Amino acid sequence: MTTTHYAALGETLVQETMDNGLRVNIVPRPAFHETFAQLAVDYGSVDTHYRDITGAAASDPAGIAHFLEHKLFEKEDHDAFDLFGATGADANAFTSTNRTAYLFSTPRAVKENLATLLDFVQSPYFSAKTVAKEKGIIGQEIQMYQDDPGWLLYNGLLNQLYPGEPIAQDVTGTLASIADITPELLYRAYDTFYQPSNCTLTVVGPVDPAEILALVAENQAAKPQFAQELPQRLDDFQVAPVAPARTLHAAVVRPKWVLGVRGQTPLANDLAGTRFQIATQLLLEMLFGDSGAWFQQAYDQGLLDDSFDYDYSVQRPANYLTIGGDTSDPAGLAQAVQAVIAAGADQAQLTPERFARIKQAAIGKYAMGLNAVESVASQISAQSFSQVNWFDYGQLLQDTTLAAVQAAAARWFDPAACTTLTVLPEEAEHA
Amino acid sequence: MPDTLQPGVRLSVLPTDQFKTTRISVHFMAPLDPATISARTLLTSLLETSSAEFPTQAALSAELERMYGADFGIGVNKDGQVHRLTATLSVVADRVAGTDLLRQAFAFLQSTLLHPLLPQGQFDAATFARERENLVQYLASLAEDRQTQAGLALQALYFAAEPKQAVPSFGTATAMAAVTPAQVLAAYHQIITQDQILITVLGPVDPAAVRELAAGLGFAARSADSLTVSVDRPVSESVAAKRDEAPVVQAKLNLGYHVDTDIYGPQFYAASVASALFGGSPLSLLFTNVREKASLAYYASSVLDPLRHFMMVQTGIDTATAPRVAALIAEQLRLVQTGEFSADLLANVKQGMLTSRLMAYDSPRFLARQALLRSLVPGVPADYDSYAQAIGAVDRAAVMAAAQGMTLQAQYLLAGKESQ
Repeated sequence: MTTTHYAALGETLVQETMDNGLRVNIVPRPAFHETFAQLAVDYGSVDTHYRDITGAAASDPAGIAHFLEHKLFEKEDHDAFDLFGATGADANAFTSTNRTAYLFSTPRAVKENLATLLDFVQSPYFSAKTVAKEKGIIGQEIQMYQDDPGWLLYNGLLNQLYPGEPIAQDVTGTLASIADITPELLYRAYDTFYQPSNCTLTVVGPVDPAEILALVAENQAAKPQFAQELPQRLDDFQVAPVAPARTLHAAVVRPKWVLGVRGQTPLANDLAGTRFQIATQLLLEMLFGDSGAWFQQAYDQGLLDDSFDYDYSVQRPANYLTIGGDTSDPAGLAQAVQAVIAAGADQAQLTPERFARIKQAAIGKYAMGLNAVESVASQISAQSFSQVNWFDYGQLLQDTTLAAVQAAAARWFDPAACTTLTVLPEEAEHA
Repeated sequence: MPDTLQPGVRLSVLPTDQFKTTRISVHFMAPLDPATISARTLLTSLLETSSAEFPTQAALSAELERMYGADFGIGVNKDGQVHRLTATLSVVADRVAGTDLLRQAFAFLQSTLLHPLLPQGQFDAATFARERENLVQYLASLAEDRQTQAGLALQALYFAAEPKQAVPSFGTATAMAAVTPAQVLAAYHQIITQDQILITVLGPVDPAAVRELAAGLGFAARSADSLTVSVDRPVSESVAAKRDEAPVVQAKLNLGYHVDTDIYGPQFYAASVASALFGGSPLSLLFTNVREKASLAYYASSVLDPLRHFMMVQTGIDTATAPRVAALIAEQLRLVQTGEFSADLLANVKQGMLTSRLMAYDSPRFLARQALLRSLVPGVPADYDSYAQAIGAVDRAAVMAAAQGMTLQAQYLLAGKESQ
């Protein structure tokens, strides 16, 4: 058991790795009512090509990780959801490109719910009948996303940044791809990725860390032993051309425009990678943030509004930038953003004064993000497969220099790595 | 109870060391009036993006960055018959920032709320035109979120006879396009001189120091007559029905019910449990029987708005199944009305409500909202224990009676249409 105190943040992190490889992170929060626990698996929608536990190359239908997440709740004679519900706990789960996570929040019966969480995730039950039924439920979910213009824009852009690559596939898959999912495929993926050494458990709340660790240790000792070999993925980081700019028409009210920049180097899961990530986030804020001259001018010209946003996404094996929003003038916004990209490392807005202020804001926002039990648990869990934990972020932010931000600009702004997507309202229909 | 700074200007301080932030809200409240809703909404955009001291959005944002990334926003909302314009500023607690951010936060609020950018006594014409256009576009684009679109359409249908409640708290795109600078200026003068004001401050603060800062904002005395909050309408014999079509893959079926209830009395708690059992919890009959067992919906839930005696059911379905889903929903309500649910389920639903409530006490937003509600409506539970006691007292008979007081009044379908 390792205990680290973060005096500046008023936080404590307790960590331990179980004999079977499961890593546990605990943040005691005595003043709070809620305990939030999340069991995360380093497995997401991109992980469709891998070596299974026999060493054979495996290829799965798109959407299998998300499907597996849905199916894991349902057992032969009960639904795990009801076990949480019986204690009054809220349970949920989600799947992203790189991660599957199962979680609950509760003010009481923490140990009981923790055992339920570990047990239901670690005892799969997939049958032909339940798999068939799930296709109906997930089919509804897939359809709902298709009506969401935000999804259309994001998903469309990913397909241009990564044409034909697994990361461009939607997390839920398609109606056609999930039709191919079988209990056998689910068990194969489960056996490969749900090994305890590929999982982390995060618990934040008014808990006694020693008690929680003892419970987890006892629970895990009673489980079948796993190989403890990390999954071998067959899709690596790639440098490949992006697809050209595209315009599509959809049932939207406002035109939308987004630019993506495909990262040309892999982002390491270590300190240097985290530093680069922070520098990139500050870079975006300095260039496109609403306190800057660029934003003000574009706003005054009616090129953008509050919906304008920018983000740096790191999704193994890829990483990319997105910049865009709703606009009445997609061409004008494109020109304004592309002018910034074309300037490369030579950016007038990267001044020491602006840097100091934006860094101060980032430090404050980081501290504000440490209020809720749930957000702390989510961040600690999200970072749990990285070498840098979330409580180290504040110090790393503090240490970031303007030179690092300038270096990030030089690395990112290559017009050849950019593509854009414009979504326009459909032509008015004529009777 | 809130402290009175001036007649009609009150302060509620909630000192706590639980959080790393201090949250300050200034609520301006007036009787709901559809004629002023759009002007009040546009006013929030103008106040939020500039002031005499920070004349551009960039300058104002830079000041927020300097205050350690303070979160600032102004919005409108309605609580029953009260229209509320609320400015909220959250800052990192002084002890975390190591500087007097609380004092700076009040100075910032004074700058934005009391010294707006008014060259020649008017809002700047270019800024006015741009913010109005942005809001028109934004309001029009709400239809891009089909769930929101269906929710607003159901509300309009349900309250068709009451324009005050039929219109969203932020108005409509059409009304917004017609708002004039004079109307917004009048709305500004109204909130500053006539609206009732409640200031809430939650965080690791010294109440005496906060009182001095809040008084220093300088709001003058105004009417302190209590505002009428709750609103009811007669139950109609018939169900209003409407169907719209849109190029959607997933259709939305929303239902509106009239709910017989008192406000924070025994009936309210019974109605809360009945709604949770019917569709307001993950264990509810709607979730279990409509979504999970029948696989007829991706989502199916109910939400109770006691101040308006109103409950809405929302579902996402296939267009073709709408009649089946509507019948299945009616059947679930009937099961609650006739008591055809297990004692375990009732106990678990109540337990779920209590755990959600207890966890909400970890949220600054919830705690501040409770302070607002307590100032508006008598009977709002003072703490978790009084809430838990009231929920605990709700038995099967009370749940059945409450459900029998839920009457379907409106049914809205946003159906898919074949696109070419």
